[in-house]
Amino acid sequence: MSSRAAKVAVREAATTVLTVDQLHIDRLRSNRQAQTIVSSFSLSVAAGETVAIVGESGSGKSMTARAITGLLPPALVAKGEVSYGGRNLLSLKEREWRRIRGREIGLVLQDPFTMLNPVMRCGRILEESTLERGLSRKARRTAAIARLSEVGIHDPSVVERYPFELSGGMRQRVAIAAALARDPTVLIADEPSTALDVTTQREILSLIKSIQIARNMALILITHDLRVAFGMCDRIYVLYAGSLVETAPSAALESEPLHPYSHGLLLSEPPADYRMRELLTIPGAVPSPDEVADSCSFAPRCRWAAAACVQAKPPLEQVVPERLSACVRLHDIRGEMAAVRDRATGEVHAAVAISDEPSLIRVENIHKVFRRGNRRVVALEDVSIVIRPNESVGLVGESGSGKTTLARMLVGLEAATSGEIIIDGVSASNWADLTQKQKRRLRDSVQIVFQDPYSSLNPTLSIGATLNEAITTRDPRARNVSARAAELLDAVGLPAAYARRKPAALSGGERQRIAIARALAANPRILICDEPVSALDMSVQAQVLNLLSTLKRTHGLGLLFITHDLAIVRQMTDRLYVIYRGRIVESGTTAAVLDSPNDPYTIKLMASIPRADVGWLESTRTIGTGLPQVSAHSARSNSR
Amino acid sequence: MIYYALRRLAVLAILLVGVSFAAFSLLALAPGDPVGILLGDAPRTPATVRALRHEYHLDKPFLTQYWLWARQAVQLNFGRSVQTSLPVRDSITARLPTSLFLGGYAFILTLVFGVGLGTVAALRRQTATDRVIVGGAIIGLSTPAFVSGVFLVYVFAIVLHWFPVFGKGSGFLDELQHLTLPACSLALIASAYVLKHTRAALFAVVDQDYVTFARARGLPYRRILFVYILRNALIPVVTISGLMLAFLITGAVLVEVTFNLPGIGQLLVQSATTKDLPMIQGVTIVVAAVIMLSNLLADIAYEAVDPRIHLGRRSK
Amino acid sequence: MTEFAHAAEPPTTRTRRRGRLGVIVIFAFGVVGAVTVMAICGSLIAPDDPHAQNLAVSLAKPSHAHWLGTDSLGRDIFSRIIAGARTAFLGPLVIAAGSMVAGNALGLFAGYRGGRVDSFIMRWVDLMWAVPSLVVIIVVAGAVGGGYWLAVLLLLVLTIPFDTRVVRGAVLEQTPRPYVEAAKTIGVADARIMWKHIWPNVAPVAIANSFLVFAGALVTLSGLSFLGLGAPPGTPDWGLMLAEGQTLLFANPVATLAPGAMIVITAVSMNLIGDWTYEQLAGRGAER
Repeated sequence: MSSRAAKVAVREAATTVLTVDQLHIDRLRSNRQAQTIVSSFSLSVAAGETVAIVGESGSGKSMTARAITGLLPPALVAKGEVSYGGRNLLSLKEREWRRIRGREIGLVLQDPFTMLNPVMRCGRILEESTLERGLSRKARRTAAIARLSEVGIHDPSVVERYPFELSGGMRQRVAIAAALARDPTVLIADEPSTALDVTTQREILSLIKSIQIARNMALILITHDLRVAFGMCDRIYVLYAGSLVETAPSAALESEPLHPYSHGLLLSEPPADYRMRELLTIPGAVPSPDEVADSCSFAPRCRWAAAACVQAKPPLEQVVPERLSACVRLHDIRGEMAAVRDRATGEVHAAVAISDEPSLIRVENIHKVFRRGNRRVVALEDVSIVIRPNESVGLVGESGSGKTTLARMLVGLEAATSGEIIIDGVSASNWADLTQKQKRRLRDSVQIVFQDPYSSLNPTLSIGATLNEAITTRDPRARNVSARAAELLDAVGLPAAYARRKPAALSGGERQRIAIARALAANPRILICDEPVSALDMSVQAQVLNLLSTLKRTHGLGLLFITHDLAIVRQMTDRLYVIYRGRIVESGTTAAVLDSPNDPYTIKLMASIPRADVGWLESTRTIGTGLPQVSAHSARSNSR
Repeated sequence: MIYYALRRLAVLAILLVGVSFAAFSLLALAPGDPVGILLGDAPRTPATVRALRHEYHLDKPFLTQYWLWARQAVQLNFGRSVQTSLPVRDSITARLPTSLFLGGYAFILTLVFGVGLGTVAALRRQTATDRVIVGGAIIGLSTPAFVSGVFLVYVFAIVLHWFPVFGKGSGFLDELQHLTLPACSLALIASAYVLKHTRAALFAVVDQDYVTFARARGLPYRRILFVYILRNALIPVVTISGLMLAFLITGAVLVEVTFNLPGIGQLLVQSATTKDLPMIQGVTIVVAAVIMLSNLLADIAYEAVDPRIHLGRRSK
Repeated sequence: MTEFAHAAEPPTTRTRRRGRLGVIVIFAFGVVGAVTVMAICGSLIAPDDPHAQNLAVSLAKPSHAHWLGTDSLGRDIFSRIIAGARTAFLGPLVIAAGSMVAGNALGLFAGYRGGRVDSFIMRWVDLMWAVPSLVVIIVVAGAVGGGYWLAVLLLLVLTIPFDTRVVRGAVLEQTPRPYVEAAKTIGVADARIMWKHIWPNVAPVAIANSFLVFAGALVTLSGLSFLGLGAPPGTPDWGLMLAEGQTLLFANPVATLAPGAMIVITAVSMNLIGDWTYEQLAGRGAER
């Protein structure tokens, strides 16, 4: 920690290169009314410094990045001041912007799969981005290759390839190289790793950090993950519903958040290192900025809200040197917040003893091969798992590992190519072979909750209709169907009146709860949760996870948790399997596997989880690619 | 790519066989006695009937008839026209160039106006210009070629005397003048479709991340417009243009009748109204072949424009 | 012609009209309403008998007695236009409705079931795509003999593949979605899934498409009559009137231009209503 403090002190002395002052972003609607997106946002960053803008969806963080580069969508308007090089960038015309973008301020977007022009080869993308003109074809190719090696791509054939021929991580690297091609002073990275696999995320973040250091750039990182911010950044700006609620150096924020929202956010992100006693949730959902325009934006969800909080919008004030907070009650509740933190972070030990009940689901030596045109894709190879009643089991893997295929096989959406699946005594490797009665028995045993809450409910049916269908499908002669539906809603913590609404009127967290309620209609003994929270905001994830834990207790449910997130697995499961490229590479109790992993992939996965300490990115353990090489370009920019 | 084209050509050949079989069966489907149909207005005497039966192999079983007919058809010998007693092939070869000229002319107009106006509308999104253009496109879509043909003739030929009323003209420039109104009326619907699709394609592309990222890197506007926006919008536009090729051929039928142009379309209609079966058969095959070939060309163009398809196929 | 009614992109990319019921859409509904009325009770409204010939006043310019003038046989153009609404309305209605029913059923099946059923249906659709309907109808009508209802029947058969394709495309978008899979895992029967889950989400496209089909069918049928292969001579049919009037363009241009204008206005109105319907249905949360 002290080395970081020293680094901070050094950087304080560096000159500020970019300042944002009282930035307001509004959306102009067709009826002339303005909808607030961001209000009173201020930020400053110096050369060689990294700052993070942390927020969930609806916080407006991406729009601030766009505003700083003048790339707001047509209906959005920015007011305020963005100072760079002595000028207010917001007053620039489009022609003047073109000299700033790329050359002074670079921007990397979130999705590597859509960021690169699909009809251009990577070499051309790099060439067009650089300023050097009049070079021969050979010289241009060499320059492009050099830039690629700066981002860790050492294969020269990549310059000939089209983006669709590369993996997500590679595309992101190419995009970073293109964004840096004119050697900007400031780089803004908007969620640069969110669209990538967990193991690739760490590599990309590490790459960005090392390039920043080598070029002494100012870096603004936009992320929703506090832990990433802690691991990479010097200072953090916390954005909630369009307003800044806290600003602090990252070490200080991590040890003591000084705003109930940051506090809540920190506590609802489970760590992977140990199991917390309870996951603290933030009830409710993120409001739109206009709904909370005249009060503290967090007040509706804050457990410490009082009259003072809703009278006017609290200003962002310095509470301690270096730290700003927008909480008017901070002095009163500081102690309470600390107490809550201590209580919640107390470690709890997961059950180590494995129950000896007979298994409810037994998967033995399953193989699954897909045929796509002429190609054979092996999705699962010799996979065997066991799930007992009342157990909570995790299946951990990244995309393409086959975990979702396995889940689909357990509910009859896919058939195994070979091998045996036995659910509650019924052979379930191919549901097409079963009688109606057998299928019903299986459906009463196993149900599933899907990943995307936004498309797992029929948009044209009301909630009540969806639940009623689930109930009557299982039991066509059921009576009091709507009463039963109300019971299900209650079990997932939603009021019965929701039955009349349509999914479009509900938030993501609420929709996911409905999906759980629907799955419960069949009274299953095991609930398969396929990435149940990865599409939800952090502050809402904990709500759903807690709900699942409660249901496990009250209904005696077994759970199969399918996820890539080891932190969730640590919190929610007793046993786990790690799956990689269709094979189970490791299994055991959660504590044993996560504390002392044996398989190299598991080790890599553990290391990829964002951690608060600065060494996370610079780890010298042999994991994936090493640190990228520094090139002549970055050396040149240092002397600017 | 060549391999793909060859495969498609083989499929095309098979389809043509199917079409030819269907065309041939028309003789059997038509009400009335085949001999009576083939005789037309010629006197029905035992001698003529015998000659006819011999020429058209009417005594043989159906499939043999087909085989014999098909063998001739491959050499482009479709028999004689019932109306004129002249070989069908001659009429077709005499008229085909006119239709192709008309179709080509209309295709160029379609591309120029459809893509051009569609681009203008997309770039001037939500302005009055855009609305006018889109409004015009809707009307264009709903105006069949024969209606627009008549309107154009009335306004430009009869009232304004800028263009001749009908006929084909001779010599390249004269033909160009004669065929302008027909080509315009033919191009009207097609360009309306191309316009709508170009506009939609551009909208879709302009919102894409890769355009934003290009702007974020400070690339000049012209480069973004051409290499990023237009080049990517080209892909769906090529697809729809391919469809238009086939459409122009059918639309040509109506236009040729309206403007009294001696083309294949007019031939088709004439032979249909006079029940000149050999002519119908011959024209059908030729038209079907032209349509399928143009579809194939369109598909190849689509492959060439989108590297994902092209390379995706190769990597297998 | 009809085939390209389906090639049109969904109208959500068009500029939004201010408010739900723009003036233009109201006008479109008005036109369609008027045509419907004319089709049903044309003979009651028309000032003159559309078939009554009166050679004494042939080729008269528009006047108080004959609002749009007369044609070469002295028949009142205005009355003939009104009477012509029948053939302009009934045939396309049958085609649009029939094609919607058959096309939706086939499209649902092909899209949901997939596999061999889908391949088979799509092969047939692809074949139809390559062959323009107008040419086929000309050829068949020429061989078998013309006639309005024969043309309607042929066009119906030839339009079904295009409806199928459009619906299948929309169904394919919905089928892999989690809410459909969730219904399967709960055990909902396939038929119910297709009818209650998928179709309501596909309906905006299907219904809007039917209006476009109507417009296209109107255009094709009038074209056929224009060529002499549709309505028999003497029928008050807009396409036929256009053909008859072509030679009279110098004498009484209204005789020719009026039916043409009616075709265009009706087709435009149907297109507009189709686009508007799509925006209304699709915008109401049917799609996310």
